[in-house]
Amino acid sequence: MSTKRLAELSMLTAAALIVFIVELRFPDIIPIPGVKLGLANIFTVYAVYRFKAKEVFLMVLTRVILGSVFSSNLSALLYSFAGAMACLAGMLLLRRIIPIRYIWLCSIVGAMLHNTGQMIVAVAVMRSPAVLPFYPILLTAGCIAGAFTGICARLILRRHIQDE
Amino acid sequence: MTKGVKICLAVVGVVFAVSAVLTFIFLHSTGKDTENGSVWVEIVQDNKVLYKLDLSAEEDRTFRVEASDGGWNDITIKDHQISVSDADCPDHTCVKNGILRYEYLPIICLPHKLIVRFCDGGGA
Repeated sequence: MSTKRLAELSMLTAAALIVFIVELRFPDIIPIPGVKLGLANIFTVYAVYRFKAKEVFLMVLTRVILGSVFSSNLSALLYSFAGAMACLAGMLLLRRIIPIRYIWLCSIVGAMLHNTGQMIVAVAVMRSPAVLPFYPILLTAGCIAGAFTGICARLILRRHIQDE
Repeated sequence: MTKGVKICLAVVGVVFAVSAVLTFIFLHSTGKDTENGSVWVEIVQDNKVLYKLDLSAEEDRTFRVEASDGGWNDITIKDHQISVSDADCPDHTCVKNGILRYEYLPIICLPHKLIVRFCDGGGA
């Protein structure tokens, strides 16, 4: 990995972390566990279309671990890790199928997979399907949030491509 | 628009529609009343039922449920409604949840594996 690429990835990770921490300060719009905008995912979606799979993986891994340290919520690490990995795997596969013009679609699928990953861990941890009724709610919210982050990523990508 | 994009779009559309409908149903299913007016709730921890209470007959009170890892949740019953009033977990999701309202949506504390939900009556 070149120094330039390393710096680029570090910058993006830092920016994603800042956005993540700022978002923690937002009041909860809906008092349902797991419903959030996930603004830090703008950077993930962007990175998926810009970098190699391994590089994006490192970036997301760093963000998830540092994010849970900074938010002092280590018990949430398992959930965010499962969600982030499911989301990343899905988006890395989809970037071959979905052209950059439809990046919002890729982002929506990513958000849905994120919710699915979290749900699977939640059911496994609770050893009870009691959390499952929250799944459709998370999916609905995830769809909207995913479209939003996808559109944001598209705006950044467009600007970036113009600059080059 | 390629075929792959169309398929993705269709899948996303269907999943979104189905979950939106389910969300609507779940958020409109407020607590159930049995024929004799009693409202049963159970407090489950780690898959074991700790308490089974008839809210319509309960006095206002607050009690603490200890988790196996040393954590705790304070459960408050007030005006025949139940809520988690305080907890020592970092996210406080269960506290923000407020009063137990929806039949299908229990109050859940993931770190302490605690569930507060409506249940069928009988056999306290």
